[in-house]
Amino acid sequence: MPRSKASSKKQQKQQKQRGVDFKKIKRKLGRKLPPAKNATDTEIKSKAIVLPEQSVASEKAGLALSKKGLTLKELLQQTSHHNAKVRKDALLGIKDLFQRYPAELRLHRYVVIEKLRERISDNDRVVRETLFQLLKTLVFPACKEDNQGPFVSLMMAYIFNAMTHLAFDVRLMAFKFCDLVVQYYPPSFSLYAEKILQNYEDILRQNQCYLQDKGKLKSALAGLVRCLLLLPCNKRNIESCEKNFTGQRILHAFEPDVPTESAGFSLIIKKPKDLVPVLVNCFQEFIPLVHSMLLLDAQSFDCMHYILQCIDLAVGFVIYGIRQGKPALHGGPDVAVWDQTISSVLLKRFFNVFPLNATHNLSEKFDDRFFILNIVIAQIFLHYSEWICPPAVLLEKFLEFIEVALLGKICSDTRSGKAVWEKHVLSLLPFIPKLVRQVSSDWKSRLLQAFTKTFEDCSLDSSLKLACLSAIEEMLVPTDEMVCPDSSDPLFEHQIIWIRALPVFLILLDDKHPSSSQVVLHLLLRLGQRACVNSSFAWEYDNIQYSLCKFYGSCQEEGGICYGPFIRLPRDSQELSVCGLYYFSYLDQLSLNSIACCCLCPELEPFVLFRIIEVLHSSFNNGHIQIADHISFFVTLLSRFKVFPENIYPVVENDVKISNRGTFKLLTNAVCSCLSQMGDDSLVFQLLEKVILDQLLSKPPLDNACAMLRMLVMLDSKPTRLSEQSIITLSKYLSGYLIDVGHCIPEDDDDTTESALIQTCYYFFLPCFFLFDRSHKLLKLALNMMGSLITESTTSPLSQNYIQYAMDRSNRINAIVSTLLLMHKDAKVKTIISLFKVEMVNILQIIHSLQSSEEANMNIEERHKIQCAYDQLKIITGVLRNELPAI
Amino acid sequence: MEKMDLVIASSSITEAGIGCWDLDSGAEQLRYKSSASTQHGLTCVGQRFIASAQLREPSATSGSVLYWSWSKPQAAVKSFPSEPIKPFVSNSVGTYVVGGGQSGDIYLWEVESGRLIKKWHAHYRAVTCLVFSKDDSLLISGSEDGCVRVWSLIMVCNDYESQRASHLYEYSLTEHTLRVTDIVIGHGGYNAIIISASEDRTCKVWSLSHGKLLRNIVFPSVIDAIVLDPGENVFYAGSRDGNIYIAALNAESSSSSSYGKHILSSLYDHSKAVTCLAYSIEGNLLLSGSEDGMVRIWDPRTLNIVRMFKHGKGPVNNILVVRRPNHLTLGAFSNSHASSRRQCSLLPPPLEKYVNMDEDANKTTVVRLATACNIPPDAPYYSSHIMDEHIKQVEQQGSSAANEMEVERLKLENRKTMHMVEQWKKMYDKVHEFCVNELLNGDEVGSTN
Repeated sequence: MPRSKASSKKQQKQQKQRGVDFKKIKRKLGRKLPPAKNATDTEIKSKAIVLPEQSVASEKAGLALSKKGLTLKELLQQTSHHNAKVRKDALLGIKDLFQRYPAELRLHRYVVIEKLRERISDNDRVVRETLFQLLKTLVFPACKEDNQGPFVSLMMAYIFNAMTHLAFDVRLMAFKFCDLVVQYYPPSFSLYAEKILQNYEDILRQNQCYLQDKGKLKSALAGLVRCLLLLPCNKRNIESCEKNFTGQRILHAFEPDVPTESAGFSLIIKKPKDLVPVLVNCFQEFIPLVHSMLLLDAQSFDCMHYILQCIDLAVGFVIYGIRQGKPALHGGPDVAVWDQTISSVLLKRFFNVFPLNATHNLSEKFDDRFFILNIVIAQIFLHYSEWICPPAVLLEKFLEFIEVALLGKICSDTRSGKAVWEKHVLSLLPFIPKLVRQVSSDWKSRLLQAFTKTFEDCSLDSSLKLACLSAIEEMLVPTDEMVCPDSSDPLFEHQIIWIRALPVFLILLDDKHPSSSQVVLHLLLRLGQRACVNSSFAWEYDNIQYSLCKFYGSCQEEGGICYGPFIRLPRDSQELSVCGLYYFSYLDQLSLNSIACCCLCPELEPFVLFRIIEVLHSSFNNGHIQIADHISFFVTLLSRFKVFPENIYPVVENDVKISNRGTFKLLTNAVCSCLSQMGDDSLVFQLLEKVILDQLLSKPPLDNACAMLRMLVMLDSKPTRLSEQSIITLSKYLSGYLIDVGHCIPEDDDDTTESALIQTCYYFFLPCFFLFDRSHKLLKLALNMMGSLITESTTSPLSQNYIQYAMDRSNRINAIVSTLLLMHKDAKVKTIISLFKVEMVNILQIIHSLQSSEEANMNIEERHKIQCAYDQLKIITGVLRNELPAI
Repeated sequence: MEKMDLVIASSSITEAGIGCWDLDSGAEQLRYKSSASTQHGLTCVGQRFIASAQLREPSATSGSVLYWSWSKPQAAVKSFPSEPIKPFVSNSVGTYVVGGGQSGDIYLWEVESGRLIKKWHAHYRAVTCLVFSKDDSLLISGSEDGCVRVWSLIMVCNDYESQRASHLYEYSLTEHTLRVTDIVIGHGGYNAIIISASEDRTCKVWSLSHGKLLRNIVFPSVIDAIVLDPGENVFYAGSRDGNIYIAALNAESSSSSSYGKHILSSLYDHSKAVTCLAYSIEGNLLLSGSEDGMVRIWDPRTLNIVRMFKHGKGPVNNILVVRRPNHLTLGAFSNSHASSRRQCSLLPPPLEKYVNMDEDANKTTVVRLATACNIPPDAPYYSSHIMDEHIKQVEQQGSSAANEMEVERLKLENRKTMHMVEQWKKMYDKVHEFCVNELLNGDEVGSTN
């Protein structure tokens, strides 16, 4: 206040002092003074100036942002924030960002990994879990395809670091991370195997921890199982070899000079060895638990199961290593070492817990659990016994268990119990063949009996059945090491049972399980290939053909055909079964019959049909089929094959769906070439002559007749080998046949399709022409028959003719004439037919007399047709007369 | 340069015998009679003589192998092994012959002595074809059971090793489902390829070094014979439908031909089934034998037939292309009686039926002469005990060879002396002339003086 007073005083003072010089100029408010005239314009005008912005907030435009508007760089920085919540949020943000912009991940993956890996040993559980999820769901799947080497090496250093972390939780989690890496990049295991296994060993040694956190322990053990699965073992190696052959494109290719995986493993053989005692210890921690607790809870069961699996794999690998290192030596220093380190552990501390039994009477579910554990222990034992012969008492105990397991007595009868049984007995089966070779004959028969029961009991499509089959293959098919057992051996008895069961099984499979059928067929083929000649095996194999009749198909009494599964199987299986036919030391009529049934099935692929003919012919060449049977097989094929459509439409011949005439022609050719290779043509001809004539007289369709005539012509020679009697019979048939074929020739041949039709007709005529060329008598008789057929009434049942199509009289005359015309067109046949002037004129006369005598009975169209035919015939006979004026 | 290739073809029926033609001129040479050869049962043992396994009645208990010397149509030596022999081959220099039996056994004989060195059970069923590798160290056998096996002769003959090993063979290749019909092996030592054909309509290419399948080629028909192109770019496969298919061995063929994958094209001459093939490297020609009894010769570049030989009525089942032996030069065929008689006497003894157990242990070692490039083609290789015998002979009675050498030496001495005489004579003449000249000149000088 006083100040304001003072200032007001001052103002007053000033006002007083203001004189003329300071004359007050009154101004109106809101108005601007116009600028003075001499004022300098100080205003600066310019266009907009753009300065680069430096604000943090606006930097983000155009960059990938998370939901919260943070960039990748910020998020990565935040992952090392001291607050756990911020770190977690940052990880979630990264996850969110990558989900939105997958390309970002690909660009910055190394940077991201470098930052993220620091969090592997994070103290906070939630952060680690979040990181795990992030890596599992996004980072690893995205980096799967490219070179993962540097990527993995970035990760591994930190994982190992975390594995030795003070906090137990972090260590367990590190195994989870390690597991993740191995899962996505399996070769990484072979690089770090020693270290990884060492860490597993260390953690398992701290046995006080297990019982606290079984969930974590379980996941770590699952990781160990996965790692150990990557160790080479016999079975898997074979599989990978098979995978290698997937259609190599170049034969002489340089192989990439990469050290193979298994090379590295030879160095780490010691590690799994060390692991075994630790695992056994670990397992024994659980034993009192089993005995004390009322229930075996799921988590402890899983842990135990995993531990056992680990032991199994480790033992398997150690044995594999010994086998690789010393292929020839069965005993040596290495085995001694093995003996000391593990054998004692296994024998003294591990196998004596077997069998695990529930102390209390528990429900079925827990029974199954113990069964599963026991099975794995048995598996370990079997691995072990492959190398070191175990004490007899122990062996006895295990054999008893195996027998009972195979018989399925242990498991509960419920459906789930059955499934468990199937799944786990499976792992015992591969050991059976070896076991059978080792044990005494008493046990041998007991085991085999149990095994056979398993084989018979399990369901058709189960993998257990397949495993049984492969075990059977090992025990049944002779190899170089295995000689055929004599009849006193219990194995022999069971082998016979299996051989007999196979075809039955095959038929039961039907076409529902093609892969199983394939396995069985392959087994049968192997058996056939290797059965020693004249052994009882060969005898059994030969007997299979009777059971296989049903597999191919069988003719019913009523004429219907019951096709077996053969027709419906895929082509490779069909080929396999056809190949099996070759190895029967004889094929009798019955089986040939059923095969023929199959061949005639319209659904059968032509390819398979020709394969069957090929294989049977090879079999015949080896003397496995009687010549009469073989010939009758061929005749059956050609006479019964149903050609559709029955009318001769040449246009559609090539289309398989509409007509199978093309296939039939090929079939005829195939059969003919087989017949020509059979040896002495004249002998074969004699065998064939009667059969074919009989078949022809039963009026088969034209196609089949033609095929049979072709067969006859193929074996015939010039002059003909036909007997007198058969020439007469044949002439009767041929007259009808020619008329029928002539009936199909079109009246005027200007159209292209019709000229094709003539081509087809020519195909039908050709065998006749050959026959006529070889026997002129046949032609003469046939011409005479044709002449007499004109007048013969078709309706009279007594008349013996072989016409099937040209029933009508005018048609018949037409057909005869067009046949003769066609014969006349062919230069070679023309010279032959010109010798039979008299018969031709005779036909002409018959037609003429018919014209005059029956004129009243015919309508105009018919009359015209006959007149045309008459004229045409007259022309050619006239030509003949001119050419041969001597007659 | 004179072309030296001869074509030898055999048939499965006795009347046709073994035909022999000059590949270049086409002139038929001597026909060796009464032979019904088995498939793959014809071989030319070190170019010294022809040998062939004979087809037997199914009931026959013993086999039959015949030898013919080059100059005589009748079989000179007959052997009867203990079971019917189907395939029969010799190694390239002709020291050993190998036969495959009906029961799946393989027999290994030494040619010079006829001794059965080894017999082993090789297959479950009859052996169908046998092939030596290019360096003669491996034997590859195919069988009716669809199995192809590779044997190392060193392993087979080593009793100690073979007893210890679980199996004798190096590889057992069991992919074929039916009878193996033919096998060929390529060049390249350990890295060679093996191609096997089978009645299952496939040809399979195997790697010799790894013993695994490299390529599987499915043909439209059964392949009975295969032969490799010298460059190993393609192989020719004679099939039962009369075609000779050409299949690629190099890279995958880009164009999918109408025949199937890897099959490039085919040669066809309306013949019946093709039963055997051969390749003449010198003339770069492909030879095919057919069921109809003809031997066709193709030019593989143009795919045309250049020549045909008529063998006989029966099917041809073996063709060999061999270099003409030195003593059988063209034109001298008929009038070389002296040499041919000598050759005839050189035919080795028949093959033994059983393995002789009480042989001296040290006699079983086989001595091989160092192989120089310019070895005369009919230089025989002997095993030690044959040499022993020869030496003994020489020691006891002195052989004709020693006499010959003595004569040779004397002749040489004679020639030398003659030469010396000539020289003396010349010198004498010169001296004489000189003296005469001297005398005459002296006279002249004297007269002028």
